[in-house]
Amino acid sequence: MTEKDRELLLDLLTRQATEGLTSEESRRLAVLEGSDDDSFDLAAAALMMAELEPADALPAHLRSRIAADAADFVSTNVESSQIEKAVGEIPPRRTPLLSWLGWAVAAAALIALGINISMTRFGVTEIARNPPPTATPTPMTPAQSHDEMMAEPGMTVAKWTPAAKDGEMAKVAGDVVWSDKQQKGYVKLSGLPKNDPNASTYQLWIFEENQGDKTPIDGGTFNISSDGTVVIPIEAKLAAKNPSMFAVTVERPGGVVVSKREKVAALAKVETSRPPDA
Amino acid sequence: MAEPILKRIAAGDKNAVEDCLNAYGGLVYSIARKLMSNEADAEDAVQEAFIDIWKNAGRYDATVASEATFIAMIARRRVIDKIRSIGRRIATDPIEEMVSEPGSTDHKFIQISVEAKEAAEAMKTLRPEQQKVLHLSIVGGMSHQEIAETTGIPLGTVKTHARRGLLRVREALGLGGVTDFEPQEAAI
Repeated sequence: MTEKDRELLLDLLTRQATEGLTSEESRRLAVLEGSDDDSFDLAAAALMMAELEPADALPAHLRSRIAADAADFVSTNVESSQIEKAVGEIPPRRTPLLSWLGWAVAAAALIALGINISMTRFGVTEIARNPPPTATPTPMTPAQSHDEMMAEPGMTVAKWTPAAKDGEMAKVAGDVVWSDKQQKGYVKLSGLPKNDPNASTYQLWIFEENQGDKTPIDGGTFNISSDGTVVIPIEAKLAAKNPSMFAVTVERPGGVVVSKREKVAALAKVETSRPPDA
Repeated sequence: MAEPILKRIAAGDKNAVEDCLNAYGGLVYSIARKLMSNEADAEDAVQEAFIDIWKNAGRYDATVASEATFIAMIARRRVIDKIRSIGRRIATDPIEEMVSEPGSTDHKFIQISVEAKEAAEAMKTLRPEQQKVLHLSIVGGMSHQEIAETTGIPLGTVKTHARRGLLRVREALGLGGVTDFEPQEAAI
């Protein structure tokens, strides 16, 4: 393969995985060696799943349509040759067996490692949210973790203030603590009105150095179901650096892709520059 | 270990269709609804995506990726093709007000895909501008041109960030394929 072809292949595979190709571009890709490489698309799919907010369940009428289609394609009478023929039709690329086998062993090892790491990480998460009765040592609640971080030196800390002086959110108070080094933090809030999860949700945003004010980092969505003070772990989707402000907005259920920032519930501006994490 | 649903589908097990819809119907539907603003278009895309899934079930290799990631890949391709064919913008809201992706407190899809969790971790290791481009592109559904116009980053640089960022994520997931080239870091 020439360097020019390699460059073209990389460009087309990247664009295919991120923004799609025109028909002409798909044809150009199809004739290149390595065009059947699914790895870019798999990586993009994994990235999307990592940040994808579950939508509603598959509508019943749509499910029926899909099941009806399946009857035409999934049959005990289908021979392998027919399946192979169908595979070649959609989608445009198909990875030959040999190209999969070449890295299957390494992928299997990595996936095994990933499962191990994942289980470890999930274990930590699950302990924090649903402490098992026999867990030792006793896991900390978000409130305890918040208090512990607040007591640590080098944390970024800010106080929540209402976005409006009047109205149902005028009594919002609390604080937020964040660690650049640990990439974790907690929001402590009181005075936020209860919300109907079917009608709206609260969404946290982190204004920081990496992404700039125009594209604050999402810190997760949450709902308020009772009066009193709540402590919520921050779930930053991207690495946050030196936050200057945190904000809570009211959005539609599940959060939004594009926030119009029409209803800002609270703001927490970082007033002082703190030393880096120890 | 239970046989993968896709292998059962490829073998003609009709019961596997229901299992597949139960396990991954929400995933495919969520991808379509995320990227397509029109409900009817999204439903059409989901229906077409599942036809692709039935047809490609025999291709699934559990040693390469999880079933969820494989299905998400097919669904994304179909949805992106659909968007291109109907020529509609992915998001209805002004690009200028684009903000980062909302988070999830239940991580439903991360839990069904090892690669998703690893990808999230890999994403955080990328340079901020690479993160931004990949995020706006893959999750926000913006074209490279739209990203360039919105962020002020030159189009060529957007493409470079997308490529290098995706290569890094691919590498972190162990998805090195036949075009596994070494990305060259250079000042942009």
